Amino acid sequence: MLLNISDIQHFSLGDGDGIRTTVFFKGCNLYCPWCHNPETRSSDAQVLCYNNNIVKECGKLMTVNDVVAEILVDKDFYEESGGGVTFSGGEVLLQADAALTLAMRLKEENINIVIDTAGNVLYSSFAKLNDYVDEYLFDYKTPYEDKYSEIIGGNIHLIENNISNLIKDGKKVRIRIPLIPGFNTDEQTINDFCVKLAKIHCKYIDLLPFHRLGSGKYDALNMTYEYKDTEPLSLEEIDKIKNIFEKYFIVKVEK
Amino acid sequence: MKLFNQLKAELNNNPEGIYAPYYYRYIGIKKNLTGSMSTIRSNGIYSLFANSTPFIYKNDLITGNTKSLYISENSMMLQHYANMCTSMSGRDFPHNADHFSPDYQRLLRGGISGLKQEIQESLNRHFDDYKKIDFLKAMDRTLDGFACMISNYGKKALSLKDDPEYSNERLDFIIKNTNELLAGPPVSFAAALQLIWFSHTAFMMEGRGAMALGRLDQYLYPFYKKDIENNIITDEQVLELLENTFIKIPSGDVVNICIGGMDMNENCRINELSYLILKAVGNCNVPGPNLSARIAPNTPDQFLDECLKTIGTGLGYPALMNDTVNIAALKKYGYADEDVYNYSMVGCIENFITGMQPPWSDGRFDAPRFFDYVFNNGVSEFNKSSGVNTGNLDNIKTMDDFMRSFEVQLENGAKEYYFGFMNYNDMLNPERFTEPFLSCFCQDCIGRGLDINNGGSKYPSVHGVALMGVGTVTDSLAAIEKVVFIDKAATLSQIKDALNSNFEGYEDLREKLLAAPKYGNNDDFADKYAVWFLDYLDSIFSQFKTRDGGGFYSAMAANISNIHAGNVINATPDGRLRGEPLSDAASPTYGRDTKGCTVTLTSVAKPDYTKAACGSVVNQKFMPSVFDDAKRTKLLALIKTYFKKGGQEIQINATSPDILRDAMEHPENYQNLVVRVSGFSAYYVTLARSVQLDILARTQQELG
Repeated sequence: MLLNISDIQHFSLGDGDGIRTTVFFKGCNLYCPWCHNPETRSSDAQVLCYNNNIVKECGKLMTVNDVVAEILVDKDFYEESGGGVTFSGGEVLLQADAALTLAMRLKEENINIVIDTAGNVLYSSFAKLNDYVDEYLFDYKTPYEDKYSEIIGGNIHLIENNISNLIKDGKKVRIRIPLIPGFNTDEQTINDFCVKLAKIHCKYIDLLPFHRLGSGKYDALNMTYEYKDTEPLSLEEIDKIKNIFEKYFIVKVEK
Repeated sequence: MKLFNQLKAELNNNPEGIYAPYYYRYIGIKKNLTGSMSTIRSNGIYSLFANSTPFIYKNDLITGNTKSLYISENSMMLQHYANMCTSMSGRDFPHNADHFSPDYQRLLRGGISGLKQEIQESLNRHFDDYKKIDFLKAMDRTLDGFACMISNYGKKALSLKDDPEYSNERLDFIIKNTNELLAGPPVSFAAALQLIWFSHTAFMMEGRGAMALGRLDQYLYPFYKKDIENNIITDEQVLELLENTFIKIPSGDVVNICIGGMDMNENCRINELSYLILKAVGNCNVPGPNLSARIAPNTPDQFLDECLKTIGTGLGYPALMNDTVNIAALKKYGYADEDVYNYSMVGCIENFITGMQPPWSDGRFDAPRFFDYVFNNGVSEFNKSSGVNTGNLDNIKTMDDFMRSFEVQLENGAKEYYFGFMNYNDMLNPERFTEPFLSCFCQDCIGRGLDINNGGSKYPSVHGVALMGVGTVTDSLAAIEKVVFIDKAATLSQIKDALNSNFEGYEDLREKLLAAPKYGNNDDFADKYAVWFLDYLDSIFSQFKTRDGGGFYSAMAANISNIHAGNVINATPDGRLRGEPLSDAASPTYGRDTKGCTVTLTSVAKPDYTKAACGSVVNQKFMPSVFDDAKRTKLLALIKTYFKKGGQEIQINATSPDILRDAMEHPENYQNLVVRVSGFSAYYVTLARSVQLDILARTQQELG
């Protein structure tokens, strides 16, 4: 079984508990215009040519064995820190069968597994993996059906249904909301977020403020970045949003 | 503004005249130019201490500096005095002059009078040995000079009273401490610290650099505890005294201060003072105090975390030392256990048996130079040097053959190194280059009536060999094995031609060499050569003995010598170009460990560092955000795991604006500098320039 991987990042610090190794799956079925990992969108191999002459190839088909070997290097670090592996992307669940094989192998080694997903897939993909996954980081980008479908190409009913099913099935879920200026950060939207998420019994919210760190990748891929000139939120704005969410949920701001 | 900041602003104020320690020294020396060398030197030291006029800063609480050595006198006479002093000559850093961690514990126990008492007892014992009597009297004379110096500081403080620029309260504090020290051993914490700083000042006046303060948190602790229990002092006051001391360490100096560690029963020795020292060094934020933290398996996370907080301010200190590895390494040399567990560091990282061996001596061994001799029948055109003619390359049929040739070159190089070291050392007649003051601070010089470099010290002198270029050598050997012996994509002769033309016209071959496995990626194909590097070189060097029978320690450090050495070393088979730096210290070659710090550190922990008794240095850089409260616990776990794997040392830097700017200029050297944001994968060097500038600006802001 082969995995289509864009990068394996050791010592990841923002993708779950402890020291983690993040496996970035290549290929996504959404097209969020603010995306900071545009190289994970296409499932084809790509070459990133940065303007300081650094060239990075992105996307290779790796065997499960190779990925497992690369992850196990860090086993002692997971044990010391309470960490593990995070599957991220791209959309992991588009490669659910390969991810399952990988997860099964890692569970044999007793490694903690987190999946970071945008969730725009059928629940059957989750169901396959549920037994092996310790936690889901579930992206939820807007409470509005039209914005979901028109701007990022997702089906909000499918996504909400998946969150709700995971919670019903007793899985640990943290909702991750990217705070995108002009898209989902006005007070009305924040309130609607709260209403929707409370309704499907979500408890834990991670807020991920917009940043432009990915803009160099757009240039390197010769793609246009719509958010190139968008200013990140101020600390005050982030605090204000956090305060609203905190009325209903346990909130963490990821930096 | 805190007091130490006001003091910092004063440090550049100099007295009138020029800095002329030789003037004060020669006033003493010329009293008896025909006496024994110890008499002459001790007269010089006595005068240096007793005849100079103390300079007290307005914001001094703990006082002492070398500004006392300024003089405005006739320049012809000064030149003459300088010439006379120079003609005596003396030892230098590679030959046991400084880099010493004094026996301050004994000084504090008995004070100056205690040392003088010991000298008297030794004089009585050695009544029939005129040489020892001469040396003991010389030691005694330097202590008298030292006492005069303390007394002069007291008098100076008294004379400054009611000067509107000075505070009477601070002057009274100085007077009280000097009086306490002149009366006998120190009783209070303040006087104890003042005595240490006076001693250190005296060493600086003698012209010594890199004198360590040793285990300050251990030997000052009884004073601290007693004063705290008796409500004589508060933690805030202790902090202020420490800051007032550390801020005076000159920025060009490397004064090692050691905190933490365990005792011989493996009890954790971290105490309140360890934390206060850490805080004071962090607050001062100056490069002079080189703080080392001994981290043992039972070191509390809280302490390591406080270390990381200090590092995160951009200071880069403390360096974190793995107590388990250092202790195991030192035990191999036969020191008593209690002495091993009381080790401290001198200079950058050198492990030292505190106050029991002569000052440090070291040198650098540029291992990558020896490839040239294998390839060119023992001659390096570029380096203008020669090794052994290990024969025609056609006779090297296997990787093992290559290794044997390379080992022959290294062994010969090690012996030449030893030969050169001993030749120079033997010119330094220990009877002539005596150290009567320094010897007072080393066991058992007083008891034996012998100089520190002439059999007086409890243990013999050691020599540290800094093995440079582990990354360059490892990558070169892995590249040769891969390209020549496995892929058979080139012959050794072709590599020879490529190296001798600095890869010009051999770009394809260079690409192949660069593509071979590299040290720092947890690939044993390469990493096995790093293990071999330390095993093999230490097996050669550890056979050597210093002139008095001490060990040759291996080190995996380079400071910045790897840059200078690289300048004159030909291209190497790892693809490194002629003149480029060698890999740094114990680290993989910058930019070639591409997988992330957990993988780098897993590789780096593979060599057996109990064979690097001198110590090693592994530099790692992290973005300042990694030191945030939420992420720092993960950094802490990273270090603990690395130490469990057998890593010896790690020196962490929060990327300073300078580093980030350099990374923008030279991205090839910073390929592994990762920006760690949730769900995001990118390296600093691949960020858009505007974003790099953003981070740079933020870093500047955070680091103030």
